Amino acid sequence: MTSSFNKNKYKGLITDLYHRVGLSGPVAVVLGLCFLLLPLLPGEFPVIVGVEILILGLFAMSFNLIYGYMGQISFGHAAYFGLGAYGTALLFRAFQGGTGEIGYFDFFLSLLVAIPVSAVGALLVGFFCVRLTGVYFAIFSLAFGELIFYVVFSWYSFTGGDNGVQGLLPPPFFQNTVNYYYFTLTIVAVAIALLWRITRSPFGYTLRMLRDNQQRASFLGINVRMCMLMNFVIAGSFAGVAGALWGPFQRSVSPGLLGWVESGLPVFMTLIGGAGFFAGPMVGSVVYTILSSYVTMFTVYWPLTIGFIILILVLFVPGGLLFLIDSRIVNLRNRRQSDKDLGSVSYGGQGENQ
Amino acid sequence: MPADFGSVLIQLLSGLSRAMMLFLVSCGLSLIFGVMNILNFAHATLWLVAGYLTYTLFQFFTAIFGDSGLLLIPAIILATGAMFALGWVLERVLIRRMYAREVPEQLLLTFALILIFSDSIKLIWGVENRRIFLPIEPIEMLDSYVNPYIFVIIAVGCGVAAGLWWFLHRTRYGKIVRAAVYNRDMVSALGIRISTIFAGVFALGVGTAALSAGVFLPIMPIGLGIDMDLIIQCFAVVVIGGFGSILGTFVASLIVGVVYAFSILIWPNGALAIIFLILVVVVIWRPWGLFGTEMRY
Amino acid sequence: MTRKLLEVTGLNKHFGGLHAVKDLNFDLFEGDKSAIIGPNGAGKTTVFNLLTGYHRVDSGRIIFDETDITNWPSHEIAKAGISRAFQISNIFLTLSVFENVRSAVQAQMGKAFDIFGRADRIGIKEADNILDLCGLAVKRTVMAGELSQGDKKKLELAIALAGKPNLLLLDEPTAGMSLEETRETMALVDHLNEEFNLTTLFTEHDMTVVFNHARKVTVLHRGEIIVEGAPDEVRMNKTAQRIYLGEHK
Repeated sequence: MTSSFNKNKYKGLITDLYHRVGLSGPVAVVLGLCFLLLPLLPGEFPVIVGVEILILGLFAMSFNLIYGYMGQISFGHAAYFGLGAYGTALLFRAFQGGTGEIGYFDFFLSLLVAIPVSAVGALLVGFFCVRLTGVYFAIFSLAFGELIFYVVFSWYSFTGGDNGVQGLLPPPFFQNTVNYYYFTLTIVAVAIALLWRITRSPFGYTLRMLRDNQQRASFLGINVRMCMLMNFVIAGSFAGVAGALWGPFQRSVSPGLLGWVESGLPVFMTLIGGAGFFAGPMVGSVVYTILSSYVTMFTVYWPLTIGFIILILVLFVPGGLLFLIDSRIVNLRNRRQSDKDLGSVSYGGQGENQ
Repeated sequence: MPADFGSVLIQLLSGLSRAMMLFLVSCGLSLIFGVMNILNFAHATLWLVAGYLTYTLFQFFTAIFGDSGLLLIPAIILATGAMFALGWVLERVLIRRMYAREVPEQLLLTFALILIFSDSIKLIWGVENRRIFLPIEPIEMLDSYVNPYIFVIIAVGCGVAAGLWWFLHRTRYGKIVRAAVYNRDMVSALGIRISTIFAGVFALGVGTAALSAGVFLPIMPIGLGIDMDLIIQCFAVVVIGGFGSILGTFVASLIVGVVYAFSILIWPNGALAIIFLILVVVVIWRPWGLFGTEMRY
Repeated sequence: MTRKLLEVTGLNKHFGGLHAVKDLNFDLFEGDKSAIIGPNGAGKTTVFNLLTGYHRVDSGRIIFDETDITNWPSHEIAKAGISRAFQISNIFLTLSVFENVRSAVQAQMGKAFDIFGRADRIGIKEADNILDLCGLAVKRTVMAGELSQGDKKKLELAIALAGKPNLLLLDEPTAGMSLEETRETMALVDHLNEEFNLTTLFTEHDMTVVFNHARKVTVLHRGEIIVEGAPDEVRMNKTAQRIYLGEHK
């Protein structure tokens, strides 16, 4: 008897969360629980995949600030992920000196440096990109991304060029995969909480205005370029944070982290999960990372596979998985648009509340 | 520093031939965007497919008919025709569904095509580069040896440019295409089958790119990854020249091609940076390109 | 006593070969409720575009509230106090009706770039007031893209009002509206002008609206002002009639 009462209480909480915040609420709860309990699975492999999911998920969520919330598509977002990774890696190596070891304080410092490095990169590129929209924005973001990749790739003396930076061994505590996993989970959770606050702030709604109608926004007194630039830098910084976590985990960084292939990742993840939902990119990361880990065990032609998947998704399910789920719920409950919260992130589908 | 005219000449010719190749690829991109408002991200990847296809056909013909450089011609013709057909099919099956969609979704679709086609190249042809060697004697000009094939490329480029211009300005079909750049709805209101025009334009764009791939084979090896370098250059050309303008694409190709060639003399790694500088200046000063129509965002 | 709010001198704008606005001189005083009329292509929308910074002027000055705002960027002009409602509703389609207005209010309050605050606590009251004023309160939670045409125009006006303008430009505010909606909308415009002394300038094709609500009428033809004055004066003017013969009944 007590158990059914508890069940109702939890069910009530979930529905309440759904009504207050939208589908991302319950999804976040479910994902959060899964992430917390993941290391209980046997073996090290799930945890390794888990770290990747978290890092790439944060990367994708930073991308969605530009795409789902502001309406522009950036095909060069990996440049800031990579800049963050390299920023951390280079400082890391400097701290290591000849010993190959790094202290805890230095480790955290090298992680922190990713933020200004990626932010500056985003600032420089954003300065030009925000003068454009739509197709031109996409082209320039891709082109500048490639330029940054090329610089890192060619600057052999500083970045190690093709070889990248190797031997990034974290301090002893973090060498343990499970420890690093929970560390990553903490940082990613904090970052996501910050992202959530930003999307609920007045700035977040200015972004939505830009997404829907840039011209009108400027007629309402909003300096569109400045707003886009600010968002671009913020998104780039969060991507940089994700990049920072990548290097010490993989023990190395390479120029590929900045290239167009890597830039495709957040785009695919956001498409898979659904750009119209705050939790979409993270859901996409879960699906994508697991799928790619699985498929690459059988074939080396992963780009071909994901290419077809993207094709099918774009043609038939552009709103993503969460959109599919949410529209089922809407149909089920015949829900009227209730006065829950203040508006919608929406792309490729009806307005759904976040 | 180029002390002699010879190396300058070589670079100039190299730049011109590269410009021609760029032009042929980019004008397809420009036309497709101008008429249908779709940015075909996979344009250079299709170019690459054409290159591999031409190579294979050339190998096939030389295996049957013996070693003759002239066999490149039927190989190019066949490959171009095949790619034209592929372009037509792509438009009818895939691109057509995206006209009513948002820009990011359109971009995503063509981006997915990059993955599909480039990985298909890997699947069919493997990872090695391909190159064709034509037995041509270098000729002497101004104390330097020049590959006369370069003149073939320049001639083909100018020829196609002229042909395209004639098609767009002197034939009925071409004038309809130009009208569609300005006002799609009006054209369809005139009772003209817009769907055929779109398929034709897309196929034409892909076909022109395919032609350039085949023609350029003797000069430059093709391999995986070249398509991404190329698409960036194409973007630069089309942005500088202006979407939808053949003249603009031609001029911009000349600029980019020659800049590339000469920067090798002065600042080897800086070609890309210089192109970017030009891009940035153009975007700030005349966002719709030197010859383009007012941008539709 | 009433001060001059808007002073336009020698305004010129070319589009390629077309001289869309020719040496325009135009004044508005605080509290005015004026209309600009003219056949299609006369340049009415171009004038609005120039006033709101959408186009650069070729020559001439625009002085608003004693400040030279010629060629200012659109967002600066909006902040200076000129607000515009568009002919074709130019709203935020995926946001709710309420959010459309609240976001505009928050922008007016200077909070557009606030990343630390909470959007659900800013501008609620003001937005609700405006929605009440415009008769949209009942449609508060509807997504803007799903509104009827008439409601979209109402929202259009509401958003323009959220900017707390000193000068409100209305581009064909009753276009596409039913008789009832037209009455409501123009009653609101009258109310705003009388209650809050809101200077209003609108363009219109509906002559009934113009002659019933405007206190001053300016006739534009091919970029030039043909005649200007009280509605009755303009109605009697022979040149104006000639321009309009065949255009309107």
